[in-house]
Amino acid sequence: MSASTQPFRRDDGGLIDRNRPLSFRFDDRAYQGFDGDTLASALLANGIRLVGRSFKYHRPRGILSAGAEEPNALVELRSGARREPNTRATVTELFEGLEALSQNRWPSLAFDLLSVNSLLGPALQAGFYYKTFMWPASFWEKLYEPLIRRAAGLGRAAGLEDPDHYEKAFAFCDVLVIGGGPAGIAAALAAGRSGARVILCDEDGRFGGRLLAERREIDGQPAAVWLSAALAELASLPDVTIMPRSTVFGVYDHGVYGVVERVSDHLAVPPPHQPRQRSWRITARRAVLAAGAIERPIVFAGNDTPGVMLAGAVRSYLNRFGVLPGREAVVFTAGDDGWTTARDLAAAGVRVAAVVDPRSGIDPALTGLAGRIGARIITGAVAAAAGGRALRAVTVREASGREESIACDLLAVSNGWNPTLHLTSHQNTRPVWDEAIHAFVPGTMPVGLSVAGSAAGRFSLAEALADGARLGREAAADIGFDSAAEPATPITDPEGVALSPVWRVKGGKGKAFVDFQNDVTDADIELAAREGFKPVEHLKRYTTLGMATDQGKTSNIAGLAIMAEQTGQTIPQTGTTIFRPPYTPVAIGALAGHHRGRDFRPTRMSPTHSWSQRQGAVFIEAGAWMRAQYYPRPGETDWLTSVNREVLAVRNGVGLCDVSTLGKIDIQGADAADFLERVYCNGFKALQVGKARYGLMLREDGFVMDDGTTSRLGETHFLMTTTTANAGKVMQHLEFCHQVLWPRLDVRMVSVSEHWAQAAIAGPKARAVLQGVVDAEHDISNEAFPYLAARAVTVGGGIPARLFRISFSGELAYELAVPAGYGEAMMDAVMAAGSAHGITPYGTEALGVMRIEKGHVAGNELSGQTTARDLGLGKMMSSKKDYLGRLMARREALVEAERPCLIGFRPVDPAQRLRAGAHFIGIGKPATMQHDEGYMTSVAYSPVLGHWIGLGLLKNGPQRIGERIRAVDPVREGDVEIEICSPVFVDPEGTRLHG
Amino acid sequence: MGEIGTTWTARGAWSGIVAPGVFSASGAGVNVQLREGLGIASLIASREQEPMLGRALESRLGLSLPTGPSAVSSASHTLVWAGAGQWLLVAASRAGVAEDCAGLAGLAAVALQSDGRAVLTLSGTMARKTLAKGCMVDLHPRAFPVGMTALTSIAYIGVQLWRSEDGPDGAVYQIMVPRSMAGSFWSWLCASGMEFGLVVATGQD
Repeated sequence: MSASTQPFRRDDGGLIDRNRPLSFRFDDRAYQGFDGDTLASALLANGIRLVGRSFKYHRPRGILSAGAEEPNALVELRSGARREPNTRATVTELFEGLEALSQNRWPSLAFDLLSVNSLLGPALQAGFYYKTFMWPASFWEKLYEPLIRRAAGLGRAAGLEDPDHYEKAFAFCDVLVIGGGPAGIAAALAAGRSGARVILCDEDGRFGGRLLAERREIDGQPAAVWLSAALAELASLPDVTIMPRSTVFGVYDHGVYGVVERVSDHLAVPPPHQPRQRSWRITARRAVLAAGAIERPIVFAGNDTPGVMLAGAVRSYLNRFGVLPGREAVVFTAGDDGWTTARDLAAAGVRVAAVVDPRSGIDPALTGLAGRIGARIITGAVAAAAGGRALRAVTVREASGREESIACDLLAVSNGWNPTLHLTSHQNTRPVWDEAIHAFVPGTMPVGLSVAGSAAGRFSLAEALADGARLGREAAADIGFDSAAEPATPITDPEGVALSPVWRVKGGKGKAFVDFQNDVTDADIELAAREGFKPVEHLKRYTTLGMATDQGKTSNIAGLAIMAEQTGQTIPQTGTTIFRPPYTPVAIGALAGHHRGRDFRPTRMSPTHSWSQRQGAVFIEAGAWMRAQYYPRPGETDWLTSVNREVLAVRNGVGLCDVSTLGKIDIQGADAADFLERVYCNGFKALQVGKARYGLMLREDGFVMDDGTTSRLGETHFLMTTTTANAGKVMQHLEFCHQVLWPRLDVRMVSVSEHWAQAAIAGPKARAVLQGVVDAEHDISNEAFPYLAARAVTVGGGIPARLFRISFSGELAYELAVPAGYGEAMMDAVMAAGSAHGITPYGTEALGVMRIEKGHVAGNELSGQTTARDLGLGKMMSSKKDYLGRLMARREALVEAERPCLIGFRPVDPAQRLRAGAHFIGIGKPATMQHDEGYMTSVAYSPVLGHWIGLGLLKNGPQRIGERIRAVDPVREGDVEIEICSPVFVDPEGTRLHG
Repeated sequence: MGEIGTTWTARGAWSGIVAPGVFSASGAGVNVQLREGLGIASLIASREQEPMLGRALESRLGLSLPTGPSAVSSASHTLVWAGAGQWLLVAASRAGVAEDCAGLAGLAAVALQSDGRAVLTLSGTMARKTLAKGCMVDLHPRAFPVGMTALTSIAYIGVQLWRSEDGPDGAVYQIMVPRSMAGSFWSWLCASGMEFGLVVATGQD
């Protein structure tokens, strides 16, 4: 089967299941792979080398690596709403029905028109956007930028709502092991055996790391034997958690690690109730980084040609995936490691034409191998690769300078490995250069983190196993988990790690790439050096080296080396950039988890919510709350009709409105009255038991903070109400005042907002209605229960309730509070008692209209920028006591005569509509800031008066009643002549209140 | 809630949000018991009265006042630490809690909260895994033993969480959330527990 449909698939071997074929599509053609494949390995098995086009020059690109570092093989995965751009084919597990499209090509991958960009090379070189398009400036936005945007970029986002669910989760452990290769497994075993809670994460779906890709022996047996025994033991330890497909992407303070688990990415569609991805915040007391290493390419002309591949990746495809990445190979290696690739290629039946190694004095065991597999040994370097869309030949240059072309379809490049130390620099520490291994190794480590094996620059399998076991054990012992005797470190087969890296081979014909994903060439770096962008941070920004989504995993070192060569410095003198989270890209959806759409933040429902729903309410968001905005009746087609009806029903009869969302704070203690005296600017000491009072609270800086009524329920017991918006803030403020400012006051406070459902019953017939609700033994006549009375009553035959005679509408009004569970019953009971009086439910809109008609301030006026004086409440500021904000409210600027003060407005032409936010400009004056005299804070259509009314803050407002001015609203093109009037539009004498 | 001779019907905090039933494709890893009808009061010790309050509660309920983040229970009552000098008294009977607190006036600021909280019990083999999707507290038995409590947040909702006596499937968690946010809490719980299978029951214990 494999031979017929997958021409580059080996007949046997590898960790794929040949009995489970999987169909997939790439660029709308059908192919087959096997369970266990990645998209990259399946493409290679089908002989697909050309996978995408590059970012800037639209160069044909193939598959460079077999891991998370892949800069070239980026595809659009899936289709429709699940389409995901820039997905690395090398880490995409194959699933049945997978669909992928190549990116950044038009009209097709093989024939791409924009590849002419390659010919425009000089125009697109480093820093081109700083130079070429500078002039004329107006062309940038209109012409250059859209052009560049169309030409550059990679995949396309889906543009549709993501249909999948994501989760966010929290985990804790004693030892977190990052990386499930030999070092990580050894560390997890050592720590797990001690009884510590261990979490072992690996980005791969399968544990084993490089062991999966190599033909190695441990304790005289194939490594797979050791691996399966180790994994079985880990699975048997109850406090060891194994997390596959989980990338540790960030290291944060206090042992916090960010992890993304790709729960369902290896499936076509997540199974029911499974998230697509889950982001974890893992808090670990200790952590061992065993993330392995990333192989380094070599810079030479045409090094981005499809068919040029990292030597370690070649072994992954051969050994793990049973795929031949080519049939005629050349190996270009700067160290012993590449020779292993030659060996494995030959073992898989690939003809190895030559092994090119610039070093002299190579281990005879390796040169002997070449003889056995019939490969030429060339002491020299590969100067160029040719072939365009697929490698055809390489130009090899011997030490003597003699060049020759060797035909091949695969070039395996080996230039040593860089420790995967990214996480070690997330706390802003830089790696340090280790001359012995020609690589950066971790510098100062984040607290609690140690690093094992290849990630520490100890590249041999023996070191990985020994390091892992030791550090896992030490991490656990450090926090009190001691192990029994240390088990013997396993014995491994011999391996060579000698290396003499080649950063670049000059003189080949064509572009030589340093950063494949961002199309940065060696020439770009030379140009940066010539133009003075020599420090590494400048180099990076000028050339965009290392700034693609791969964060330069395969390019940073070569870039530094070439800059070092230009400046005559060493690599460590040139420096290194530090890495930031995330290690690999993380979907925003995974970070949001459950919290998007309706669940972005909690929604608060009033205890009367479903009652309002039954009444047909239209709801509005008020902070986190859903509040009934108005209750349309059949036939009412616009909100204003409904609101006008509700207002008139209250003014002429009686209405019912939910006010449960107001903050309610229970304040008790011997000094409770004193406490209130200090937090409110008006007096509270003299408030009688059983009475309520309107209170105004200032901030320390003298501005108004909040208002509300506070009732004295007992000698030492008060109930404060706050506005809905400020409920939490006021509670916080009171706690601060008590704990920090006046800790000696004997006072205690607790929020009781959630316990009480509260409704306003307002209108001339309010008392008559309430008499049918409040139990008969409570006298609520005008005499027994006058304006501002506040007392405990019972309703419904004994249910404890609180009744307050307070009014926001200016009508005879009460607020009735019952335990929240009875909220709906209260609304039903009030409606039943009020039916004879035509009671009407009203919402926040009608509430707002009536308070504007009465000139009461609310959220629009309590903006945090207004003083009591601004709001016409200056007289409330007591002169007989001290209170918060008293001194600061006297600041010059706050008492300036010209400061805008609250006043009322009505349109000169009663048919004109007013708009909140409009600015006041004198008649005949231009509408400029210079002539600005204040602004309209609130407007409403008053059904009582039959025209629009407004409240606003106007310079010298109260002295200008009767004067005319304009309300100018440039946003909505409004310019209305208005008359300044009293802010109390309805019942200025307040007689209705006392009715 | 039947002690008062009222004709008014009380509505539970979970009413209209979640009803007993099975929420899953398969499995029953998480058991949710909706706890209606509890009596809840917040107690804040008066100045220098904490020892007296402790003695009063000890003699009344047979429970000693926790001085750190823990919860103590009798058959009918639980006292949950809720911050320095503050506790929640949770009584099996809603009607009785006012009486439980009568006479504590000088010793503590008492405020009834029975209707202000939605309470549920979470148990089952996957209860901890479900909680891990929103709870930022380490609930491993070593870190969060029976009787421990935490004031924390789950899904951006402030919760009081405590671990009561183990049940047949291991750890049992009591979770108290503000009544107004019960709907959002359930939205999170349901989304988080569905993969394990949620079985919702109601009742008093």
